[in-house]
Amino acid sequence: MRAFVRSSGASALLFSRTVKAVRRDGLTLRALLEQLHELIGRSAFLVTLGMAFFGTVIVTIAYAQARKYTGNITLVGPAYFELMVREFGPLTVALLLASRAGASASAEQASMSVNEQIDALTLSGIDPLAYLVAPRVLACAIGLPLLTVLGTVAASLGAALTVTHSFGADGRSFIDPQFVDSGDVMCAGVKAVLCGLYIPLAASARAITAQGGAQAVGRAVTTGVVEACMGCLVIDFVVAAAFWGITR
Amino acid sequence: MELATSHLVVDFGPHRALDDVSLHFPLGSQLLLYGPSGGGKTTLLKALAGLVLPTRGQVLWNGRDRLTLSRGETRDAQAHMGMVFQTDALFDTLTVERNVALPLERKGLSAAAVEEKVANALARVGLKAAAQKRPEHLSGGMRKRAGIARALVMEPWVLFADDPLAGLDPETAAGISALLLEVSHGRTLIAAMPDPHPSLPLARTLRLTPMARDVDNRSTA
Amino acid sequence: MNTAAPLRTLGRVALPGIRAAGALTLVLARTLRHLPHLSGRECLRSLVLYGYQSLPLTLGVGTLAGATVVLQAGIYAERFGARQYLGWAGGYAVLWEFGPLLLGLVMAGRVGARNAAELALLKTNGQLEGLRGISLDPFRYLVAPRVVASAVAITCLATLTYFVAALWETVAAYFALGLPARVFLGSFADMLRPNDVLGSLLKTAVFGTAIALVSTAAGLAAQGGARGVGRAAAAAVVFGCASIFALDFLITPLLARWLT
Ligand SMILES: Nc1ncnc2c1ncn2[C@@H]1O[C@H](COP(=O)(O)OP(=O)(O)OP(=O)(O)O)[C@@H](O)[C@H]1O
Ligand SMILES: [Mg+2]
Repeated sequence: MRAFVRSSGASALLFSRTVKAVRRDGLTLRALLEQLHELIGRSAFLVTLGMAFFGTVIVTIAYAQARKYTGNITLVGPAYFELMVREFGPLTVALLLASRAGASASAEQASMSVNEQIDALTLSGIDPLAYLVAPRVLACAIGLPLLTVLGTVAASLGAALTVTHSFGADGRSFIDPQFVDSGDVMCAGVKAVLCGLYIPLAASARAITAQGGAQAVGRAVTTGVVEACMGCLVIDFVVAAAFWGITR
Repeated sequence: MELATSHLVVDFGPHRALDDVSLHFPLGSQLLLYGPSGGGKTTLLKALAGLVLPTRGQVLWNGRDRLTLSRGETRDAQAHMGMVFQTDALFDTLTVERNVALPLERKGLSAAAVEEKVANALARVGLKAAAQKRPEHLSGGMRKRAGIARALVMEPWVLFADDPLAGLDPETAAGISALLLEVSHGRTLIAAMPDPHPSLPLARTLRLTPMARDVDNRSTA
Repeated sequence: MNTAAPLRTLGRVALPGIRAAGALTLVLARTLRHLPHLSGRECLRSLVLYGYQSLPLTLGVGTLAGATVVLQAGIYAERFGARQYLGWAGGYAVLWEFGPLLLGLVMAGRVGARNAAELALLKTNGQLEGLRGISLDPFRYLVAPRVVASAVAITCLATLTYFVAALWETVAAYFALGLPARVFLGSFADMLRPNDVLGSLLKTAVFGTAIALVSTAAGLAAQGGARGVGRAAAAAVVFGCASIFALDFLITPLLARWLT
């Protein structure tokens, strides 16, 4: 718990320093596009496939439940679809990005730090926060909502196909948005943006000061990924609780 | 540009890397730091360059404590320093040319001016042919020279060279030493290496050891 | 030329896959071979490193998962007025699906990355080769214990997570929805059969083994210093996650069929 408080404090500090650095030095579109490709584009395949599998699994369970208790998948479908939109979708995609992008961002920046490349930037008059951290933060904040849409669509399609082909029911009964309202979509969006901001900050905080060779890089990746994952879980819970408080 | 340290102490957690170091470098002075691994050579170079913060004591740039400088002033001062890093610190994703151009990136120069300066720096270290290569495809000596070119491209007043001869054969080492001596004219050169090397005779030497340190040639030039 | 192009593409896609499958099989086979005579001390050390030190994280995941599920289920409970539904949805969803998956993802980050980084360090520092130099099998002394320890650690931690999640669900249901613990746990027990719990544990055990194998293969494939170690750890996380999703997809229908 104390470790978590310390890491979120470090991320918050890094965020404010990064914002200041960008105000001073600006941010090039090119760097942003590079990171969008590297962190978001390259995660798209993993997210799509993973979430399609996930949708299949969820609907298998929903179907098993439905048979046991209500006898009709069309009753459970809409409720599960809402859960998918506001809970399972955002959180699972965020965790996938935390693993994929968090690991690669912390590995890259940590090896830059132990190879003195970050010092070389500073001495070249280039602020490492504006040059390295800011494009990653912005890319993930923009990209995670997009990935969440992609992942949720993939999961829903996976689920609908499974219903149609394995259970012989109408697949559309699962993607029935009768319970999904603007609150659900907003909740998912807020989660995605906040997690998108947090993941690269958590991944960078330890990495850009890593010192001491290969061991330090390994340590930075391990802690970076875990802190990014934990942050996503906490953000997910806090946002869910806030929306629950608002909408009840 | 004049550099100095005054009772400089640098701690990393419980570990003391530098203990009460006072040195003075007027423009054009030379110093060779040597001593075993872990003696604090890199730490001292980085503290002088403003990359490592003092725990106690001061690092003075032109007589002013660097911690009192604004961010803009710090950056202006650092624009007059170049460092050849112990690990090369080249970016493998950029070509040699772009690596060397890095210090010029935020200086508001025209593309032609940047190109000319980079070409000059590369010619000086004899790397013109490798300008478009990526550092991972270079030999160790070529990487060192690329690092020197990057350190020189801003025509700095102070040149730091951290272990510039590591892992080089005697012939290449002699070549790099000659290059460093040649470019050090009119500049301050502060070099660090495990042992004094006959091919790089600098005016002053300072031995740094992990436990106790004895300073010869203490006279502050 | 024209006929070779598709073949070449196929080769580019298939070869790394085949190589990866080969590496995984090799790790699995060699670990199984050394299973009867593992170094107990090294196993214990790895268990502490991977398992014991991940305890706080596991407790945190369990707490958050439990609380989140209750929150979501609470929305339905209020909407439908069916409070028994709570234990049903909460217990079932956590136990069956989200629990193993969530924990698998976090553990791929925690244990997988750590295992890969450790092995990559041993490899790039030449310590694995060093052992071979004094004719000790590095796999038996350094690698196999880590594989076993990560698989065991993840399975044990998963079991713990369920209890923590269930506990927090009870607490959250009481405070947030005013549902007495007895009612909540009662609906829990009504809806879940021992087989369901067993199925989830089986699933996490499979995930744990997969993470162990994938991260070990990634660590052993590391090359070249700091950057290589970072890459190995990142690869372990990514492929660990991917394999979890794929295995989930394959196992769940089987479990659903066998256990019901
Ligand atoms: N960022 C850091 N964090 C923690 N300890 C550090 C850090 N940088 C240096 N140290 C420690 O400070 C001491 C001095 O390190 P330094 O790198 O200055 O030695 P060095 O003289 O350059 O050695 P070498 O010849 O091996 O390069 C070492 O004990 C080192 O472990
Ligand atoms: Mg050094």
